[in-house]
Amino acid sequence: MRLVKKGAEADIYLTKWQNSIAVLKIRKPKSYRNQILDFNLRKQRTIKESQTISEVKSLGIPTPLVYFVNLKKTSIVMQQIPGKPIHDLSNSKIISLSKQMGRLVGTLHKNGIIHGDLTTSNFILSNDKVFVIDFGLSQKTIKPEDQAVDLRLIKEILNSAHAPIMKECWKNFLSGYKLVVGTSKLLQIKDLVSVIESRGRYATVV
Amino acid sequence: MIGLGIESTAHTFSCAIMEKNGKKGKILSDVRKIYRPPGGEGIHPREASRHHIENSSSVLSQCLQESKIKINDLDIISYAAGPGLGPCLRVGAVVARSLSSYYKIPIYPVNHAIGHIELGKLLTGAKNPLVLLVSGGHTMILAFLNKQWRVFGETLDITLGQLLDQFGRSIGFASPCGREIENLANTSSTYTTLPYSVKGNDVSFSGLLSATKSVVSNNKADACFSLQETAFAMISETVERALSFTEKKELLIVGGVAANKRLSEMLKDVCKRHGCKFFVTPLKFSGDCGSQICWTGLLENQVKKGASLEKTFVTQSWRLDSVVVNY
Repeated sequence: MRLVKKGAEADIYLTKWQNSIAVLKIRKPKSYRNQILDFNLRKQRTIKESQTISEVKSLGIPTPLVYFVNLKKTSIVMQQIPGKPIHDLSNSKIISLSKQMGRLVGTLHKNGIIHGDLTTSNFILSNDKVFVIDFGLSQKTIKPEDQAVDLRLIKEILNSAHAPIMKECWKNFLSGYKLVVGTSKLLQIKDLVSVIESRGRYATVV
Repeated sequence: MIGLGIESTAHTFSCAIMEKNGKKGKILSDVRKIYRPPGGEGIHPREASRHHIENSSSVLSQCLQESKIKINDLDIISYAAGPGLGPCLRVGAVVARSLSSYYKIPIYPVNHAIGHIELGKLLTGAKNPLVLLVSGGHTMILAFLNKQWRVFGETLDITLGQLLDQFGRSIGFASPCGREIENLANTSSTYTTLPYSVKGNDVSFSGLLSATKSVVSNNKADACFSLQETAFAMISETVERALSFTEKKELLIVGGVAANKRLSEMLKDVCKRHGCKFFVTPLKFSGDCGSQICWTGLLENQVKKGASLEKTFVTQSWRLDSVVVNY
């Protein structure tokens, strides 16, 4: 087993499952966290992640297949998605793929699911297909406010990690989102995003 | 280059004098007076500004005395122009403007939050850190990119400082209550489950505040302990997310809540997991102080002339990610 990535929440290993290459995602205990809190969080998120991955797969969203879940060790074995996170691609690629990211997020929202951790690292480009990963913070909700929080997350990341291309990415993302949810829904959510931003500290909304 | 910095954004009125030599800075004096509201109450902007007015001249003269610098020796004057409480900000600005126009010294309006970061960098030696700014006014995770501090995560409602203060006041402490809560929390180890709200890189504390208030009747110490454990775990997680996303190799904590030992302990552990250096602003300078304003003014002086008096406004809402940093 080889450590591929030490993420914030979990460590990712490459491993084997039934003779094929697979990914082991393990949420290890965090010594800085209170033990009760720590175990509850790890367990909830492992359950949430494996459930949501399977559920959104049936909506036609490309996600890894879940092979095995171990709740005691809070680990998941799943299909390996070869490819690169959108975050690591060239600026022009990120701009053009933003539309597809928006479309995927729109499909999630339309079906009552929010991702909860939308960043450019959680979309993987694999053989010209964009996969969505990391559903540990996902929620089942149809509340427009929750959906707006989801969009604000990706907007914040574009604004910080991809500042020079933020405007184009955000425009493309929204146009992809609109294709799925429709114009009136898009306007409603966009308004709510502004409301959430204006609630922020010392905010002047851009 | 010798500068005077005046801080008056919230409860603290402070003057500091620093000397800058190349990239090195030395604090010659830093004098503060802190407005203390009665127990159970928060900062009353009018009362705080009255406190600042009454103490401004004594703080300034003590600051000059301790530094052994004469006003005429000052090269620049900087003041905190925001973000903060309007009435309080105006006191510092008035003092700065009067000195500047009477003694003909260039004047620099400075962003208070940038001040926290710049002083933190100077005192710890951090080069290119991910910054966690936690105070009464801010809860933000920041990284520097293309001449601006970019926000990677922040609170969606109240700040960590407000969470601690508002809870502290509800059990009779006076703001700022961080230390009292920390002391009380240290006497308990009984964890009560409280709402944990992390949304990607952002946090939300308002639900946690209400929930903690509702469990406090059982035991104050347990409530403080659980509040700290939950809130700090949320912060640590978002910091960890930002560290793994940005792949920075340094973490710097600045702002009033940086004084909390439990928070530092948790973040130290986070850094260990990510092979990242840990820096925390020394206790004496983590809270609001004149030095943060003075040092930022001295840095701005490298690239900018002083502001004309007509442009020395104060701005209550002034986000630090809107400031272009050219030095």
